[in-house]
Formats: sequence, structure tokens, C-alpha cells
Amino acid sequence: MSARDAILARLKGPSPDQAEADALLVAPERPAVDEAALEAEFLARLALPSVNASHDVIGSMADLPAAVARYLAGQGEARTLCLPPDPRLTACDWGGFTLHDIAAPDEAAALAIARRGIAETGSLIFETSPAAPMLPNFLALHHIVLLAVRDIAPYLEDAPLTGPQPRAHYWVTGVSGTTDIEGTYVRGAHGPRFLHVILLRN
Amino acid sequence: MSAFTDRADAALADPILKIAVERTAGTAEAKRTIAIDAFPDFEAARTRAAAIKDHVIAHLGPYLEQFEANAVAAGAKVHWASTADEACKIVIDICQAAGAKSVARSKSMLGEEIGLPHALAEAGIGRVETDLAEHIIQLADERPSHIIWPAMHKTREQVSALFKAKHRSPHVEETIAAMAQSARRELRTQMLSADVGISGANFLIADSGAVCTVTNEGNAELSLVPPRVHIVTAGIEKIVPSMPHAIHMLRMLARSATGAALTQYTTFYTGPKRAGDRDGPEEMHIVLVDNGRTKMRDEGLAEMLRCIRCGACMNHCVVFRQIGGHAYGGTYPGPMGAVLTPVLDGLAPNRDLIHACTLNGKCQEVCPVRIPLPTLLKGWREKSWREGLEPTSMRAGLGLWAWVATRPRLYRLGTTIAVRVLRLLGTKGWIAKLPLAGGWTRHRDMPKPAAQTFMAQYKKARRP
Repeated sequence: MSARDAILARLKGPSPDQAEADALLVAPERPAVDEAALEAEFLARLALPSVNASHDVIGSMADLPAAVARYLAGQGEARTLCLPPDPRLTACDWGGFTLHDIAAPDEAAALAIARRGIAETGSLIFETSPAAPMLPNFLALHHIVLLAVRDIAPYLEDAPLTGPQPRAHYWVTGVSGTTDIEGTYVRGAHGPRFLHVILLRN
Repeated sequence: MSAFTDRADAALADPILKIAVERTAGTAEAKRTIAIDAFPDFEAARTRAAAIKDHVIAHLGPYLEQFEANAVAAGAKVHWASTADEACKIVIDICQAAGAKSVARSKSMLGEEIGLPHALAEAGIGRVETDLAEHIIQLADERPSHIIWPAMHKTREQVSALFKAKHRSPHVEETIAAMAQSARRELRTQMLSADVGISGANFLIADSGAVCTVTNEGNAELSLVPPRVHIVTAGIEKIVPSMPHAIHMLRMLARSATGAALTQYTTFYTGPKRAGDRDGPEEMHIVLVDNGRTKMRDEGLAEMLRCIRCGACMNHCVVFRQIGGHAYGGTYPGPMGAVLTPVLDGLAPNRDLIHACTLNGKCQEVCPVRIPLPTLLKGWREKSWREGLEPTSMRAGLGLWAWVATRPRLYRLGTTIAVRVLRLLGTKGWIAKLPLAGGWTRHRDMPKPAAQTFMAQYKKARRP
């Protein structure tokens, strides 16, 4: 008997009742979010020490390169950027920037578009696709994220997007951190040390 | 003296260990308290989390089949292993078929449980532990002492010395931040050049075939995205019906483990790289591991399968806080480890481990899935008694006590004599030395008993 058959033989039982599984999710306990003030709620979570992200606000996509330049200048970084092959990003005027679309092992800064922002936790939701590689967002020292205000949703339950599952669906709620030495928190363990969110408000 | 008693004695005599454990566990306890106080109705959330896990455990077979079908449809290969050895063999075979010289491993307690580090070494495959604590443990050639903070037993001074001895370009400044940067420099190139990435799973999502991992360091993603092959080793109890079920468990996990609302990085992997994707592995393998879990379900330990490996029970355990994790001797330390170790390593060699508990119930109070850990430990004690594993002196002593206790007159006579004798041994309310119980009074005094037994006082009080 194969291991599969042996395990399943021991676990024989009735198929789960979908209604029973759904009933387990009725009115879940979760932190309260003021759904009338999602942007403020999201920004409040983003500023918590546990998330520790900075933010900027722009009115249109045309303002994006200037916002990125502003952030990099503030951090003392050159205008060098890993830009994913997303037409919404590549269509911007990046004059004055040095761009590349493959992240270097010691990448300084990468820009990405979040599919959604979650007010409950200040999380940014990403999905992989040919236009949205995953690795730059983990290699870069500065993780810069564009998020449309209309894409802010209240709860983590709003994170799953409809349609076919991507290869990877991931939530970023802060920077790479560790408490592995004596429980002391340190930023920039393996991945980004800085997270900067640019909110698109139109 | 048994192996456990020897280890516990050595741990108690180690002053540095106590400092190291207290620094991390103390912080974790304080942070969890703040997080739980800020959460609306955590008690109801615990009940819901337990109900979700119980539902899954009751329908584990069908859910596993659903997960398998969805994972395969997404392009992953699903393997099944009844034992630790089978699981390791599957992983090694995949690595060898891929021609792997090195693997990057993201911390997985299941990997530790099945002995994967050892199996990889035996197969001559290089292993890079990418979680900072696991990296420390690997450099020190030790085992994890905690399931969330595997290097909890190390002080910053010890880590500093280790990195200076082993890193190519170690830190200069004596700060924890500088030490973490030293590890970042050391590990990044190794992660990016690994042939295979190996992870565990925090959750397996039945209705999508996705595998969920959580980290604060982002090391899982850096270990699993660049290599050509991603191997997941997961216990079969990690299944949840859907992503919303996982979301509830994630809320419980992060708060119970570190006091955070959520881990920094939470990723759901569904199959290998898709057409046109710029990164991601070409192959994804998922090894579903039983290793005693079906037996636990059938033999009275089903509640233990609720465990989501948060570590809250050990952070709040008075015994763990004194002796640290290594003294437990198994893969899993603390209260959950004391229940699991007899399953994984046998009851006979762990007879004394199941007694190393005060039954104060703190672990059960903080468990996010309401595992009745003290009750399960008592179950092991009863089994140990039934199977004749308790020492002859204990059996004879308890037998004698039971014989006397079922004869009330004799019992009262015995206690009356005992009280008088004990009072003769005491001075100023305390007994400093007690014949036949020298082990007990060596470290503390025993209170001198009252002048009369309880029954004598009770009868006297009832007299008009």
C-alpha cells in the first residue's frame, strides 16, 4: 500500500459539509475598522512601529516619478530604480532616472504596484504576474509601493482577489525585521529596511 | 538519574541560559499581553480557532484529497510520507534528481522533526539555513531551543563571538543591529545561488492548493523564489478549508507568537512559475507528512493536532522559563513538546519528561486553539502508569498509600502520628531537613504542619 493510500485509509470519513465550514466564519472577531475613513485608518496602521512605513500622496500617475525622486533624495539614494515591466509604470516619464527591470543582489530601490491595501493591518497585497515579478520586492533595501486609494479595503478577508490564483499572492506588512537575538527588534534582516507607500488619490 | 533529569539539572546550573531565555520569553509574554488586550474578544476568537481546527481534523482525509487535487491542477507535485524517513527520502530524491549541490532552507519545525538537516548532510547536499536564528544554530552546530526563536538560549555576546569566528566579513560594532547585518551579508549570496529552496507550511489551503508561509525576515521568499525547485514539507494537520479560514488563524498566530497583528511577510504559493513569469521555481513539490499524526487522531491526542506552533505555551511555562528548550530533549520543547515528544520519540524514554509540569494550566490559558495541554499530559501519565513505566519505588509507595487511604481509621491514625513526628522535626514554623526527602529539603524548607490534622480540627469545630 502506498503512503498516500495508508494515510487516507486511516483518515476515512465523511466529506465536509460546506455550510458547516462557512458557519465557522460568520462574524469573525477582528480589530474594528472605520469603513467611512479607510484611508486614514490605513495610514494610521502604516505608521505603527510594527509596520514602520513612510508615505506620500500624489494626485495622478504623472506625479509618480517626482514622488519617487523626492523619496530617494530624502534617503540620500541615487535615482536608480528597479522598475517592473508594468505598462502603467513604464508609461511614466522617468527622465533623470537610471532604470532596470532585473533586480541586482544588492538592489537599492524597487517600485511595485500593490493590488490592494488593508486598513486592518496596514498590509499591502501583491500578486505575481509577468508584469509583477516578486524578487525585487524582497531584494531591495528600499521597497517603494504605489497604491491607489480606491484599492484600500477594510479587512484581511478583502485581500483575496477574484479570478484565477496567481503563482504567488503575498502580503507585505512592514519591512524585513527580526527579533532573533534576545528578542530585540532589528530592521532590514534579509530584505527591505525601508518601506515607502505612495498613495494615488484620484 | 534519567537523561531528562540530567539535562534539566545542567540547565538549572547554567546562569547564562536563564538570562537568555528570560530576555526573549519575557519580551514575548509582555508583547502578547498588549496585543490580546487590544483585540476585541480574543476568548471568542480562540473558541472559533479551535472549532476551525476540529472541523478540519474531523474531515482530514477529504480535505487532504481536495488540497492535493487543487495543488496538482496548479502544477505542483504532491508526495505522501507515512514516516520521517520516507519524507526525507522523498526530499533527497527530488534534490538529487535536480542535481542540487546546495539548498536554502526557510525555518520549518516539521523539517527538524523529520531530521531533514541530518538527511541532507548524509546525502552530501549543502544546506544554508536562512532564518537568522536557524543560521546561528547552524553555525553553532546545535538544535533549536524554541519553535519561534530557535536561538533563544544564546545571549548577544555569544552570537557576537560566533559570527566573528565564522562570518567572512563580521560586524565591528557590538550591537544586535550590526550582528544582523553581518548575517545579511553572509547569507544573501548563498540564498540567491541555491539550487533548491525548502520550506515548511504554516497553512495548506484546501480549496486552492496554496501553501502559506509566514516570516518577519522575508527569508522564506528569498529562499524559495530564486531556486529552480521549491520543496514544501508539511504536516497533514496544516490544512484549512479556505483562505478566510487561514486569515482567522493568521490573526491568532501572530498575536500569540510575537504580539504583532500580522507577520511582515505572508505568502500563498500556488504551483510553480507560470508562463511569462520572471521569477519563481520551475518545479514545486509538496510532501505531506503523517509521522504519527493519524495515530494521534485515533488515539486520544486529536486536540494536539490543533496546534499552530505559535510558542505561546512555552513562553508562559514556569518550567520552560527555568530550563530552556534543549533540556526537553525532543524537537519540540515546552508544554506542546512534552505532549508531542512521547509520540515522536516514544513514551518509555520520556517518562520523566511528562512529569516535568506543575499543571498550573497557564499553557492552556494562552493557547490560541484551546489545546487542553495539562489534560493531555495527565493522559500520558496515566498511560505511563498502565504500561508499568513508573519506577518500582513510585508504584510501591502509591500502592501503600492507596491501601491506607481506603481504610479511614488507619489513615487518620497514620496522619496523626505523621503530624506529631513532623512537628518534632520543625523549628520556627519550618522543617529544614526531612529524613527520606533530602532531595526536597536540600533546596528549600518545608512548612511545619499544624498542631492537629484537618479531620481532628474539623471534628473539634463541629462539637457544640
